[in-house]
Amino acid sequence: MEVRLERINKRFGAVQILKDIDLVFPSRKFVTLLGPSGCGKTTLLRMIAGLEDITAGKIWFGERVVNELAPRDRNIAMVFQSYALYPQMTVRRNLGYGLRVRGTPVSEIDTAVERVARILEIDHLLERKPAQLSGGQRQRVALGRAMVRKPDIFLMDEPLSNLDAKLRVTMRGELRRFHLDLNATTIYVTHDQLEAMTMSDLIAVMHHGVVQQYGTPAEIYSKPANLFVAGFIGSPPMNFLEGEISNRRFLVGDGSLPLPALQVEANAQKAVLGVRPQDLSRAPAAGQDTITGTISLVELLGSEKLVEVQLQNRKRMSIQLRADAFVEMGALFHLRFDPQRLHLFDKESGNIIPASN
Amino acid sequence: MLTRKQLWRAARDALLYVSLCTVTFIVCFPLIWALSTSLKPKSEIFATPPTLVPRTLTFENYEALLTGRQQYYHSGPQTAPSGPTPAQFFTRWFVNSVIVTAGSTLISIVISTLAAYSLTRFRYWGRSVVPYFSLLGYMVPSIIFVFPLFLMMVRLELTDSLWSLIFGYVSITLPFCMWLMWAFMRSIPIEIEEAALIDGASRYQVFRQVVLPTALPGIIAASIFAMIVSWNDYLFGRVFINSLDNLTLTVGVMLFFEGTHVDWGLLMAASVLMTVPMAILFMALQRHLVAGFGAGAVKG
Ligand SMILES: Nc1ncnc2c1ncn2[C@@H]1O[C@H](COP(=O)(O)OP(=O)(O)OP(=O)(O)O)[C@@H](O)[C@H]1O
Ligand SMILES: [Mg+2]
Repeated sequence: MEVRLERINKRFGAVQILKDIDLVFPSRKFVTLLGPSGCGKTTLLRMIAGLEDITAGKIWFGERVVNELAPRDRNIAMVFQSYALYPQMTVRRNLGYGLRVRGTPVSEIDTAVERVARILEIDHLLERKPAQLSGGQRQRVALGRAMVRKPDIFLMDEPLSNLDAKLRVTMRGELRRFHLDLNATTIYVTHDQLEAMTMSDLIAVMHHGVVQQYGTPAEIYSKPANLFVAGFIGSPPMNFLEGEISNRRFLVGDGSLPLPALQVEANAQKAVLGVRPQDLSRAPAAGQDTITGTISLVELLGSEKLVEVQLQNRKRMSIQLRADAFVEMGALFHLRFDPQRLHLFDKESGNIIPASN
Repeated sequence: MLTRKQLWRAARDALLYVSLCTVTFIVCFPLIWALSTSLKPKSEIFATPPTLVPRTLTFENYEALLTGRQQYYHSGPQTAPSGPTPAQFFTRWFVNSVIVTAGSTLISIVISTLAAYSLTRFRYWGRSVVPYFSLLGYMVPSIIFVFPLFLMMVRLELTDSLWSLIFGYVSITLPFCMWLMWAFMRSIPIEIEEAALIDGASRYQVFRQVVLPTALPGIIAASIFAMIVSWNDYLFGRVFINSLDNLTLTVGVMLFFEGTHVDWGLLMAASVLMTVPMAILFMALQRHLVAGFGAGAVKG
């Protein structure tokens, strides 16, 4: 079922938490709300669930405005960050509760619960109480409770944040598989960009209660709409250099770099240039498209080496090299910028200055 | 062969158990003595040296209390008193105590649970200070409340009825029960209620099926408090009630002291019978209390 948000606003007292959110979650897609802590992701998700009042705007489920609909009538399921299992019920009763309160016959409940438990590999835990489960097992029970009812819309609020790093990676793949099995529209909340990039069909990047950019992971990564998105997505984070656009070159400190053709040519415009550590390369000597600095830090990441180069204006740039690249602390380093892989942002607004192609 | 270390450990354990047993014995001694006295015939109660384990076991004191039959012809030169004796009223008082304890506990728990739920889940003016103010009453000795309360009972024409005690006990147990339930409810994450709402439960179902079972340890703790206060109260029972028929155990048992003759065996049997229901209740509830606390975890 398609979910559509139309100019959604939320205020807590005088504080505006969400501003004019317009989003369409296409039917059966996996959409992630991504943003730093406190940007209003949970609040938005709770509004979709019907747990939070809507200050202004409309929420549509398909052809229907659901603003006034009680949570139980929305045919949604939600996985809470804290899992929120019913502590006094066994896993079996936790899983079956949603069916039980809706008056499903006992035999059907048993079948459904056992099917879900098998899929999630928790069938040996059915008679335990939540307190007797590990974090990962609780998380599965919470997922199972949401899956058992075959909801139209599946809401998840940072379901992986309480798990250890390894389990998190495994669960990413599993969640994605469940999504495909479940055939529901999934709305997933996280502050972890890697989670968002690996699992989503679409990502809405949020900041300060505003959607900064909405697109596929590839779009968001390769064409960030503004400085915030550019800095938030990608690891290690994008490098930024402040300077000025002049005659299709970017003047920074005492150097300059060639720029791609811009949609609207600008001159003497203050701008910020962004480049990912993966998009920089090493030049054997100084040239038209390089800036020179000295190596100030080398970090081995395993298969790669992260090298930090300090420029003359004391600004530090990081560049990712192969692990076997030879680098020496304090040595000169010529950074080559590929004009096709640069991102230019207006310094004032922070918005992208689009290239012409 | 035991090594030195094993010997040392055995000695240490033995010492530990001996001291634990000693302490337990000292703590329990009054109860043990009461039990022992209640099982002795009158001739043995004042025997020197005193016996801890009765030489002859008798249930005549219990029989007297439970059947209300008089026992005075056993006890030497005295003649049976002409009026009714405390023993005749024992079962009556026992039932009265049970009624007022159960009644006041039930009322306190129902009100305090609902109040605590409202205080933690709904927004209205003053909701954050009510729990703290509710404790202020306990800073004042209850003797100060008794007479105003008594005057109120007179107005309500409830004096000398069990209702006066039920309401009196509610008035002293409710604030603390409410505070306790409030503290407990506050620790129940709101998400589990929201999860239930999404799962399809109505507000009432959420309260019945999710909140109440989760709050059970708190409810039990509050009930224990309310029951102890009501069951052990002497002051209210003494002031509010004046007919023998409506007395509660605590006040009633004091009547065994009246006159020149104190029947210790009877008195001790009464004490034991007073203690037993509470002790049984505790043992039954304690398990729930602990089990409930263990199951409260929500986060990983
Ligand atoms: N009930 C409330 N009353 C007042 N302010 C609130 C309330 N709930 C949330 N807020 C505020 O709204 C903002 C957004 O909160 P929200 O929980 O949606 O953030 P979030 O994006 O989910 O963050 P996180 O990643 O830390 O979970 C925060 O600044 C928070 O302080
Ligand atoms: Mg959140």
